[in-house]
Amino acid sequence: MKREIPILLTILCGWMVITAFFTTGGVPAAWNDELLAWGVIFFSVAFLLGIGNLVRINLKQISARHPDWPYKAILLFVLFAYLGIGVAEIHGWFGWVAADGNTETLRRDWIYNRVFAPLQATMFSLLAFYIASAAFRAFRARSTEATLLLIAGALVMMGQVPMPIPVPAAVETWIATTQAFLMSVVNTAGQKAVIIGATLGVLATGLRIVLGIERSYLSE
Amino acid sequence: MATVTDIDRRWVFLIMGLVVLITYIGGVAKDLPVSEYVDAYYKTIEDLPAGSVVMLSADFDPASAAELLPMYQATIHHLLRRDIRIVNVATWPAAPPYTRRWFDQIAPQYGKVYGTDWLELGFLPGDDVAMGQIGGSITSAFAEDARENKPITDFPLTAELSSNMGGIVLLVSLSAGYPGILEWIAQVGGRYDVPILTGTTAVQTPDLYAYYPSQCSGFLGAATGATQYLQLVTVGETEVPDDPDNLATVRASNQRRMFVQSWAHGILILLIIVGNVLYFRGRSQTA
Repeated sequence: MKREIPILLTILCGWMVITAFFTTGGVPAAWNDELLAWGVIFFSVAFLLGIGNLVRINLKQISARHPDWPYKAILLFVLFAYLGIGVAEIHGWFGWVAADGNTETLRRDWIYNRVFAPLQATMFSLLAFYIASAAFRAFRARSTEATLLLIAGALVMMGQVPMPIPVPAAVETWIATTQAFLMSVVNTAGQKAVIIGATLGVLATGLRIVLGIERSYLSE
Repeated sequence: MATVTDIDRRWVFLIMGLVVLITYIGGVAKDLPVSEYVDAYYKTIEDLPAGSVVMLSADFDPASAAELLPMYQATIHHLLRRDIRIVNVATWPAAPPYTRRWFDQIAPQYGKVYGTDWLELGFLPGDDVAMGQIGGSITSAFAEDARENKPITDFPLTAELSSNMGGIVLLVSLSAGYPGILEWIAQVGGRYDVPILTGTTAVQTPDLYAYYPSQCSGFLGAATGATQYLQLVTVGETEVPDDPDNLATVRASNQRRMFVQSWAHGILILLIIVGNVLYFRGRSQTA
């Protein structure tokens, strides 16, 4: 029964969702809505599990005086401080509410816009430097395929943006046309082949699951 | 003779940093030619009748703001100035503060009323599952709005919405990855026959060519697409240097950033060429 019930539930839920996808209204749609609502609830619970796991792992490393323990302490402090501020504002504790309905005056939004957003944007912008260094060191014309990739990459990069220095109009037009051809013909054909192949794979795996053949999700 | 591995990578960082800094200071705003994908995005919105309801999904966070935020601002302006109503959702947890901030700023400029002209439903966890639920029934997916915490059925805007995306004439996803545009296409676009527009980061843009124009009616690819769209939305408007949130100022700022990006791409190509020259020289000397 330990195996049969989960398999039966999987088959049942799988078929219900598939049926609902090809029909509108009726019992399959109602069941599908119910299952999707359960799915959203499971995701929300997963957030709590994630927080629990984060706290457990970091507390363990703080108590073991791991070399990075101060950062882990900061992580936990920020996690609970932000959570606390958010909960306090939602419930209006300490008189913490948005003044005149202006959400900009909320403490949690201030932290988000003035601290979190710039930090995240900074981290992402550093990619430009790492990509430059990686391209300089690793992008080599070692083989015919690598050379083709390199030339195509360079043309797409140039065609994507205006020319930094004045070049003859014919050259600029040729680069733009080649870039458009590479993206809309070569790239599209490749993407479609990959998408169709991957979708057939997903379809086959999905069918194996709803037919009860694939049981790897039960660690079998 | 120096090889690539002999060169400290901090030199590469310094060169790139200097190029970005100099071109940022001396950047010039120049009009870009508009691509057919951007034009299709713009025209799809232009063709919507006034009073239509559009779902705008913020599927990004501040890491992608440089590319996606200008698109987001311009799309809100474009929709609201055409009297199109917006149901705003998010599938990324860090997106709603952006949503709130820009709607707070832009909606009053057009005299739009919350609950009648636009509605903020906030973040729904669950990735593809959440999108499927939103597509099936917005009222089941969101019990309350994210702004006033009232039942969403209390708002005049939701009275016109029904299950299976009924009442929604267009879905716009500004997408930085997963979950994003590809999941919206799979879960909602084809299933409920809703046209979809998107704006994406440079990394995700190549994926979209395969979906255009059948499953995705138009798209804005990265900062270039954002700049071209801003040009279309702000035709005849002049920059207001004292107001960084003015749409024409955002356009000019984006155009100057494209100048920076042009030079950064140029330097990147130059570095690749230098790297290859050093590599082949080193190899011929070893042989």
